Amino acid sequence: GPDEAAYTSRLFLLYDAPLDRSQMETVARQLLANDIIQQWHVYSRSEWDDRNGVGIIVPRVMLAHTPGVAEMPIPSDDALMKLSRERNLALNPQDIPVIRDYFLRPEVLASRREVGLSMPTDVELEAISQARSDHCNHNTFRGKFTYRDLPSNDVQVIDNLFKTCIEAPTLAIQKNKDWVISVLWDNAGAARFDDDYFYAITGETHNSPSNMEAYGGALTGIVGIYRDIMGTGKGARLIAGLYGYCVGPGDYAGPLKPHLHPRRLLDGVVEGVKDGGNKHGVPTPFGNLFFHSSYLGKCLVFVASLGIMPRQINGLPTDRKCPQPGDFIVMSGGRVGKDGIHGVTASSETYSEHTPAGHVQIGDPYTQKKMHDFLLEARDEGLISFITDNGGGGLSSSIGESAHFSGGAQVDLDKVPLKYEGLDVWEIWVSESQERMTVVVGQAHIDRFMELSRKHEVESTVIGRYESNGKLHLKYRGRTCAYLDLSLFSEDFPQWEFAADWRSPEDRGLHEPVLTEPEDYSALFHALLGSSNICSREWIQRQYDHEVQGGSVVKFLVGRERDIPNDAVVLRPLLERRRGLAVAQALNPVYSIIDSYHMVAATIDEAVRRLLAVGAKLDEIGGVDNFCWPSIQYDPIQNPDGCYKAAQLVRANWALRDVCLAYGIPLLSGKDSMYVDGHLPGEFGERHKISGLPTMQFTATGVVPDVLDAVTMDGKLPGDLVYVLGETANELGGSEYYDFLGYVGLNVPRLRTQAVLDLYKALESAIREGLVVSCRGVYRGGLAVHAALVAMGGLLGMNVDLTAVPLKSTSDSPISTKSVSRDDQILFSESCGRFLVTVDPSKRAQFEAHFGSLPHALVGELTAQPHFVVSGRGGRILLNEPIARLKISWKKMAADS
Amino acid sequence: MGAARALVLTGFGLNCDLETAYALEVAGARSERVHLNNLVAHDYRLNDFQIFVIGGGFSWGDDHGAGVIMAMRLKHRLQDEILDFVEGGGLVLGICNGFQVLVNVGLLPGFEPHELKREVAVIGNDCGNFRDQWVHLTVNPASPCIFTKGVEKIELPVRHGEGKFYAEPHVLQRLVSQEQVIVRYSRPDGTPADGEFPLNPNGSLDDIAGICDPGGRIAGLMPHPEAFN
Repeated sequence: GPDEAAYTSRLFLLYDAPLDRSQMETVARQLLANDIIQQWHVYSRSEWDDRNGVGIIVPRVMLAHTPGVAEMPIPSDDALMKLSRERNLALNPQDIPVIRDYFLRPEVLASRREVGLSMPTDVELEAISQARSDHCNHNTFRGKFTYRDLPSNDVQVIDNLFKTCIEAPTLAIQKNKDWVISVLWDNAGAARFDDDYFYAITGETHNSPSNMEAYGGALTGIVGIYRDIMGTGKGARLIAGLYGYCVGPGDYAGPLKPHLHPRRLLDGVVEGVKDGGNKHGVPTPFGNLFFHSSYLGKCLVFVASLGIMPRQINGLPTDRKCPQPGDFIVMSGGRVGKDGIHGVTASSETYSEHTPAGHVQIGDPYTQKKMHDFLLEARDEGLISFITDNGGGGLSSSIGESAHFSGGAQVDLDKVPLKYEGLDVWEIWVSESQERMTVVVGQAHIDRFMELSRKHEVESTVIGRYESNGKLHLKYRGRTCAYLDLSLFSEDFPQWEFAADWRSPEDRGLHEPVLTEPEDYSALFHALLGSSNICSREWIQRQYDHEVQGGSVVKFLVGRERDIPNDAVVLRPLLERRRGLAVAQALNPVYSIIDSYHMVAATIDEAVRRLLAVGAKLDEIGGVDNFCWPSIQYDPIQNPDGCYKAAQLVRANWALRDVCLAYGIPLLSGKDSMYVDGHLPGEFGERHKISGLPTMQFTATGVVPDVLDAVTMDGKLPGDLVYVLGETANELGGSEYYDFLGYVGLNVPRLRTQAVLDLYKALESAIREGLVVSCRGVYRGGLAVHAALVAMGGLLGMNVDLTAVPLKSTSDSPISTKSVSRDDQILFSESCGRFLVTVDPSKRAQFEAHFGSLPHALVGELTAQPHFVVSGRGGRILLNEPIARLKISWKKMAADS
Repeated sequence: MGAARALVLTGFGLNCDLETAYALEVAGARSERVHLNNLVAHDYRLNDFQIFVIGGGFSWGDDHGAGVIMAMRLKHRLQDEILDFVEGGGLVLGICNGFQVLVNVGLLPGFEPHELKREVAVIGNDCGNFRDQWVHLTVNPASPCIFTKGVEKIELPVRHGEGKFYAEPHVLQRLVSQEQVIVRYSRPDGTPADGEFPLNPNGSLDDIAGICDPGGRIAGLMPHPEAFN
């Protein structure tokens, strides 16, 4: 019957464990159980009941609460503000007069009276709060920025970063690229894979929930982003999930007390994505991990996913969808509980102990996998006219937003299946319980849809209908509990305004470090390879099924011992076709300490080079931007550098616009997550605000016309020639080398888009023509690190002569801090636009002719003797290291970083 | 004679069905992906097929132990059909989760035909975690298994958290003496992995990666042959 349920328990026996009860409880609470969703008990031998064990424990939720709907008087703006605070609505003070004004209008009052309402109900206020939250509405990116360049005081006003830096460039690019199918409106963007199929991609963050409860937050994040793909167009089949984690140092032993130590937090998020991905049958082929102390305040958890869908079903385009008045609103998948209430509004605030724990949800990938298979079958029979997921904001978001397409909706909230009784009506409307999709089915198809749903043992319930009366009309047991004009959501809400004050890095006192060249390059290099942001992350990737679906052409881990991370992965989503899709991600948050413009430029360039390195087409690269930023709203006490952070955001967006336009990259999808700040207790009961580094992760996709042309990074044969493509400049600002030695520096890598594009085109055709045996971009850590990885991948030696490396010519004098004058600069500079390529010696002439006057140089060769040998500018041997030893150094941190 | 018809089971969290169906096609079969409930409802009949494949995945989320619930469903709702199918010479292959299912159903090792008895187990990896890696496998040439005929060595990925093959000593001994072990984890040169991690990725006893029934028509293994497509 409906009240039947299965519960599971797990018994752990600890023997020979010299632990007292309180230590045992710590083990149970922190290591074995997840307090949020599990209960635990500790029994000693003497307490154990041999016959009945733990007995029968039924952890059924029973809420002694009679659901109701309350009307909320709003006699003044202050009263509404107070209500917002008390109910955790997180309404923006600027929105309050607009909301009040709406409810007090005579015509609104009159029409509400007809349905038995006067003042706003709790359901309505919650719905408005959800729709207006920064998370859903991107008020920050749509804000008005007054950007002042200090000290010159030159002022520019930027009206809406989203429109000017994301939407406009993408639409302009779409005009010239017919492969850009659907952008800027749906749950994910869609691009052409081949003549018959589109691929879909989107990316999100799940920072706040993961910071509270790492496992549940990350799991919910990954299964949530999957639903975005399932809800793209009329539905896409999932083909990949991606991850990116930014956390505090794994060995942090300082006085601050983050909610979870970074090490445990990382273990939790790694496990969450593992269960979400593996149990969903979706490969997790690629990801990032970055440690920085600024993420102690709040961690970043990026999730992204990709899907594939036929271009047409029954002759109708799959990327388009629209609910028609009269169509049924169906909720499919899981049931609704108290989980996730106020998740959207909580992530729009900075984290503190008062953040409601109720917004953490635990996803159930199994239920969602069943729903995924069901919905694809329904899609292929043409039964779905519209579909969207229930994520942030729950039904309020999915139905509230889709009602705009048809022009209205009516929902009977008492029809929504619940996990347990006792939820208030507003809770049903905004709950973020997982594994649910809102599906729109026409009257002609509803019977067949329900039949398929039963076959797959997925719960589907008709909860309402779309209308065309311009109203969002919610009822509970026959009584109206919300009656809002859809036009309310597009009222003239005041634009958020930000003061953005920029000072150049020089003006902020940044400078290059006073640092001599190291004498012991060998010890330095081994230490650098083992540093937490360079060392192997195989331990994460091995836990993720990265090849289910059988289409992995180039895996993340490559080389003779399958342990070196490749630049990008290549998927073959349609097994019977030779066409591939390359995917890569990049993030470089340390650069934003110097200039967030260059942080973004270098990050996009890195993602693009990663794709080119496996053989993707430069002309068909799509991007996804995921911004994670600290609060930019200035407050003299709470956020004294808010204006600077706002300027950083403006500059980051300018770089996004400039580089995307230069490279012709449409932003297929993207998201922003603000408020990456935390308030951590210190040693003496004081609290410290920690703001995360301004961070943008860029995810890029590119079509590989024939997967047989795909190239990997590992060196292949002794005697193959090693080339460096692109110019190295004195650009160590924000580099791993400086960071490792405790510096930031000033000379951040600067991307010269026009200079590198010709080189990129030449590389693309060189790979297509088979002139390239292996290809590696030069990224964080510089030439030395990435050359060593190429050698390690092939278990081969490599000789590198630094005097041959092409340098950026500079008009400055040789002793200037802007020109390259030392070996460590060549080894560790992180200049953009560079690759390491190995070439069959028999193709040397052809290869060199191909690159002509573009910056390229033969710098060495692969050797059978497995030593990594680097000779410096004075002819001195700087490094002569056995490959096996380099590997040990690079891997030693792996298990315990 | 036309191509063999293969039924690849889908639904309830199974997830390798697309590539399994594809690999069977590449190998010359005509394959169809069929939902368990379509089989239970007799929309499809096993006897119309020659090969029955239960592939990888997380049936019922593996929440009650890998493959346990799926095994119960097959036993309760399809036992007669499956036994008929086997009797009639049909081939059964279980891969990863499917192997766990066959073991739980008792079709493997199947010492006594028609007596569905659970005699071996596939339990949590010794390494304590889910693991995706490629392994070297050596085929037992003396095994009657028809799926491995003509193969001496093969590299395949394992992708599981519960893949350690376990059996009581007398069962193990019987499996070995009846040549029911079909593939073992090995070194690249084909010599046994001898339990060494990560060559033997999960701690399986005697490096066992897969077994068959005494007749060689029912087989199961943890590594994924369909991934090598």
